[in-house]
Amino acid sequence: MHPQSDTLVDIQGLNKWFGALHVLKDIDFSVASGKRVVVCGPSGSGKSTLIRCINGLESYQKGVLRLAGTTLGLSGKETAAARRQTGMVFQSFNLFPHLTVLGNCTLALRRVAGKSRVEAESIAMAHLEKVKIPEKAGSYPSQLSGGQQQRVAIARALCLNPRIMLFDEPTSALDPEMIKEVLDVMVALARDGMTMVCVTHEMGFAREVADRVVFMDDGSILDRAPARDFFGTSGHPRSRLFLETILKH
Amino acid sequence: MGFDLHFALSSVPIILGAVGTTLFVALLSCVGAAAIGFVFDIVRRLGGVTGFLIGFAVDFIRSTPLLGWLYFLYFVLPFYGIRLGSMTVGVMGLSIYYSGYLAEVFKAGIDAIPKGQPEAAKALSLSRRDTIIHVIAPQMLRNIAAPLGNYFVSILKATPYLAVLAVPEMLGRAFDIASQTYRYTEPLMMAGLIFLALALAISQAVKRLERRLLAVGVR
Repeated sequence: MHPQSDTLVDIQGLNKWFGALHVLKDIDFSVASGKRVVVCGPSGSGKSTLIRCINGLESYQKGVLRLAGTTLGLSGKETAAARRQTGMVFQSFNLFPHLTVLGNCTLALRRVAGKSRVEAESIAMAHLEKVKIPEKAGSYPSQLSGGQQQRVAIARALCLNPRIMLFDEPTSALDPEMIKEVLDVMVALARDGMTMVCVTHEMGFAREVADRVVFMDDGSILDRAPARDFFGTSGHPRSRLFLETILKH
Repeated sequence: MGFDLHFALSSVPIILGAVGTTLFVALLSCVGAAAIGFVFDIVRRLGGVTGFLIGFAVDFIRSTPLLGWLYFLYFVLPFYGIRLGSMTVGVMGLSIYYSGYLAEVFKAGIDAIPKGQPEAAKALSLSRRDTIIHVIAPQMLRNIAAPLGNYFVSILKATPYLAVLAVPEMLGRAFDIASQTYRYTEPLMMAGLIFLALALAISQAVKRLERRLLAVGVR
C-alpha cells in the first residue's frame, strides 16, 4: 500500500512501550492533506501518546511513521526538519511564562525561521489577529485567562506556517465558559483548510469539523469512521458505550 | 586595654582601601562559579560517560575544603611547572569550589521547570542551544534568584581565605594593621562590620531582583 502524495501522516503497525507497558498496539493511521481527524477515547487509551509520536516528541519501537514523506526516528536531522511541518497545541498551553504574548510568538520565527524582529512581529501580529487577541500582545501569559492563553498557543504554533496542526486535548484544562472561544478558533482554522489531528472529547466540535473520528482504547484503535457514521447508530460496541457515557452527562 | 573608637575609625580607611580587591575577587569568582556550575549541570544532564564524570567531579568538589583547593593550586601546581599569581589562584579556587554548590542550585532550578516547557520548545523546532538560552535559563534564574544570591554572599564572605595567599583583601589588611600595632580588636571588628554592610547590601539587591523577576510571568 503506497501512501498518496498528499498523505501528510502515514503510520503503519506502530508499537510503543513505556518499559513493560504496551501503550500503542499495531496502530495504522493516516491523515491526508486538508483532512481533520478527531481522536477520542478514555484516559490512558494512548491517544495523547499517538499524537505526540506524530511530531517526534515520543519515540516508538516498532512500525513505520512517515510525516510529510519523512520516516521519523531514523535521523535526528530529518526528524527535526519534518517536525517543522507541524504545529502543536498542548493541554496545559505551555506558553513561555517569562516572555510576552508577542515574545512567545516571535521566538521560533526569529531563532528557527531566521526572520528579523520586524518581520517576525508582523507575522505574529497577523496570527494574533486571527485568534482575536492582538490587544494582548504585550501581556504576559500569567495575565491572561486560560482560554486566552490557549488561543495564544494556537497563534504561536501557526507562526511557523505548519502544514498540519496537532491538538492534544486543547480544551481539557479550561473552564467551561472558555472552551467555546478556543473551539471557535479551531473551527475557523478548519474552515481555512488546515490539516488537523485533534485529541479531544468535544464531540460537538468533532461533529462540526471532523472528516473522520478515531476511537482508541487500551492502546488500540477500535473504531474509525466518518464523523457522520461515528455519531450514527453503527460502530464498535465499546465506542458506542463511550459516546453514550460522555454525551449523557 | 579597652576599645579605642578613634583607633578603630582610623583603621577603616586602610581596610576600605582593599574593598576594591575584595569586591573584584568576589565578583569574578561569582561569575566563574556560576559559569562553571551551569556548564557542569548541563553536561551532567546529557548523561553518558562525560555526564557521569562531571557528576562525580561535582560531588568531589563539594567534598573537599576550599583551603585544600587554594593550597593545591598555589603550592602544588608549581611543582608541575604551573605557576599562577595569588589573585588568579584565589579567583580560580573560589570559582571551582563554589561551582560544585552552584551546579546543585542550577539543578534544582532546572528541575522545577515544568516538562511542558522544553517540550513546547521542541515542538517549535528550537535547537537545543536556543532552548537552553531562551527558554530554560531565564526561567531557571527566576527559580533560583534567592539561593544564588545566598551563594554570592557566601563567596564574598569566603574572600578572607585568600589572606593565606597574601591577596591584599580586606581581612588581610586588617591583620596587617593588627600585627603592626598589636591591637586586634578594632581592625578585625571594623573589617567584620564592613563585610556585614556589603553582605546586607547584596542581599537587598538580590531581594529586589527577585521581586522584579517574579513580577512578570508568575505561573
